[in-house]
Amino acid sequence: MTKEIHDPAILTSTAEAATGRAEVQRQEALIKTGALQDAIFNSANFSSIATDAQGVIQIFNVGAERMLGYAAADVVNKITPADISDPQEVVARAKALSAELETPITPGFEALVFKASRGIEDIYELTYIRKDGTRFPAVVSVTALRDAQDAIIGYLLIGTDNTARKQVEEEQKVLDQRLRDQQFYTRSLFESNIDALMATDPRGIISDCNRQMEVLTGCTRDELIGSPFKNYFTDQERAEASIKQVLSEKKITNYELTARSRDGKETTVSYNATTFFDRERRLQGVFAAARDITERIALDLVLKQKNAELESANNELEDFAYSVSHDLRAPLRAIDGFSRKVVTNYGERLDEEGRRLVQVVRDNAQRMGHLIDNLLAFSRMGRRELVLQPLDMDAMVTGVVDELRAAEPTRSIEFACAPLPCARGDAALMRQVWVNLLGNAVKFSRRRPSAHIEVGGRTQGGECLYWVKDDGAGFDMQYAGKLFGVFQRLHREDEFEGVGCGLAIVARILQRHHGRIWGEGKPDAGATMHFALPLAQAGDQASEART
Amino acid sequence: MMNTKEQELQILLVEDNPADAEMTMDALRLGRQVNQVQWVKDGAEALELLLGRGDESAAAARRLRLVLLDLRLPRVDGLDVLRALRADERTRRLPVVVLTSSHEEVDVVRAYDLGANSYLVKPVESEAFMAAMVELGLYWMLLNKAPGDTK
Repeated sequence: MTKEIHDPAILTSTAEAATGRAEVQRQEALIKTGALQDAIFNSANFSSIATDAQGVIQIFNVGAERMLGYAAADVVNKITPADISDPQEVVARAKALSAELETPITPGFEALVFKASRGIEDIYELTYIRKDGTRFPAVVSVTALRDAQDAIIGYLLIGTDNTARKQVEEEQKVLDQRLRDQQFYTRSLFESNIDALMATDPRGIISDCNRQMEVLTGCTRDELIGSPFKNYFTDQERAEASIKQVLSEKKITNYELTARSRDGKETTVSYNATTFFDRERRLQGVFAAARDITERIALDLVLKQKNAELESANNELEDFAYSVSHDLRAPLRAIDGFSRKVVTNYGERLDEEGRRLVQVVRDNAQRMGHLIDNLLAFSRMGRRELVLQPLDMDAMVTGVVDELRAAEPTRSIEFACAPLPCARGDAALMRQVWVNLLGNAVKFSRRRPSAHIEVGGRTQGGECLYWVKDDGAGFDMQYAGKLFGVFQRLHREDEFEGVGCGLAIVARILQRHHGRIWGEGKPDAGATMHFALPLAQAGDQASEART
Repeated sequence: MMNTKEQELQILLVEDNPADAEMTMDALRLGRQVNQVQWVKDGAEALELLLGRGDESAAAARRLRLVLLDLRLPRVDGLDVLRALRADERTRRLPVVVLTSSHEEVDVVRAYDLGANSYLVKPVESEAFMAAMVELGLYWMLLNKAPGDTK
């Protein structure tokens, strides 16, 4: 093909010199080559530039004009193709070729055609510069033009505009980069997870895992992938069962296993795992995340120990309270008894003040006896085993109110009892709650000519709420914090008798029922005591009874 | 009803606290029982007196009509005394009244399980205490009929 492409001037002179049969053949060839030449010359999609041996442009076809923006007249016999190429690329190409072919090659036209001049087929990419200075990427094929003696008489550079392909390549590059970014993002999520993550096939063979999994097992990712998941756990059967369970139930949660790493370190982990599928919804295997719960288990253990210690300390305290109050009784009895004996045996020798003083001793001994009795009652409250059952609060309140009325036959007390929600609790203890609250209401409303006591209740927010409201002496809210303390009183002994244990006992009973109590009041304007019990839930009897 | 002059009636008071013992005997004196009270200060002494070897203790057991037993005693605890008395043929049916400071339900139950005839919590208030002791002495020494009592 290359040999049929010739300089028109040469072709013409050759035609003129032809004669005879050879002449006819040449004419035919001329027609053929002329047609070829025309085709090349007029091709709009290929730039065809022919030069002389020195590189000076001789032919600049329509395609070249269109691509480069020069008219043929602008360039023919004036410049070489190097002049319309990116100069830096030309220099770079010269340098590269010099190295490749181990011969010095001048940056310039020689660099563009050197390979072709040595008969080497040469196609390369090059940036052409248009007349207006803009650039475009081109793919250039270079062929040497030779005369009959095989001497080089010029070069033909056929170029195509590579812009579109370059663009596609660029887009591909961007897409590839985006894909790599996406993969990196996904992978980094996988790797930076604090849980040990792992995928297995349906047989439980690890197909992927993250860095945490390497830490957990002490094995590298390469060692892990392809090996059975169960190998890395103390209880392999249980580990294998977890995979089966995921496959049959689609997921498992908080499945505890103990991982054993290569160096023997054991870590208790809690597994959450699900099955995963490809785009066609075909089962691919199990994706599992293991969280290290060693610390949590250790904390649980500490908590259990602390609870046990606390319980034992509580028991000791209660035993102590019991024993102290028990042992305190005997000396009290002696104080009271012997004071009395003084009065009985020596009363005649005492004056009135002497007898009064002995009486003070006796009063205080007796008061201390009451304190001890209440302390004992309070301590018993904490130790008693709860027997939970449904409670008819209406009946309970009615019973307590009747008793209180009977104990105060001379007083005018109006009780208003609204229907109360039923609750669950220990009947004897809950009755004590009502006795103490209603008893207080009766006691502290003593100064009213006619006392009004209201009892009400409702369920609200998972709780049964109850209240007892009186119009008695009330209390100052700034002392509300003292309401529920043992031996804490908000009234003087000479105003209202009592040792200050009633509400402490109520609070303790409610605490043991997981309930709560609070009060509100105003001096001389009555008090309202509220308490709340959790709504009974099915099956909670056993757990509550232990507390 | 028994005639107090015909028989020498005996009460054994097992009490480690001298003040309580004195007050108990004061009260029994009010009920005119004081001359028949013997006081021992712990459980071991009580067991030695009642169940020890020799004629002395056998005679003591025979003459005895009532034991007033404190629960918290040095050496041998009150409940152990009760257990030993009930295990011995001579004192199996001897009326024993537990006289203690303990309100505890477990103590009450254990005392009755071991065969106590009565359980009395000593009141702190001396009037109540005295009244209880007087009544107790009268009831057990005069009103109660024990096995082997003659008309």
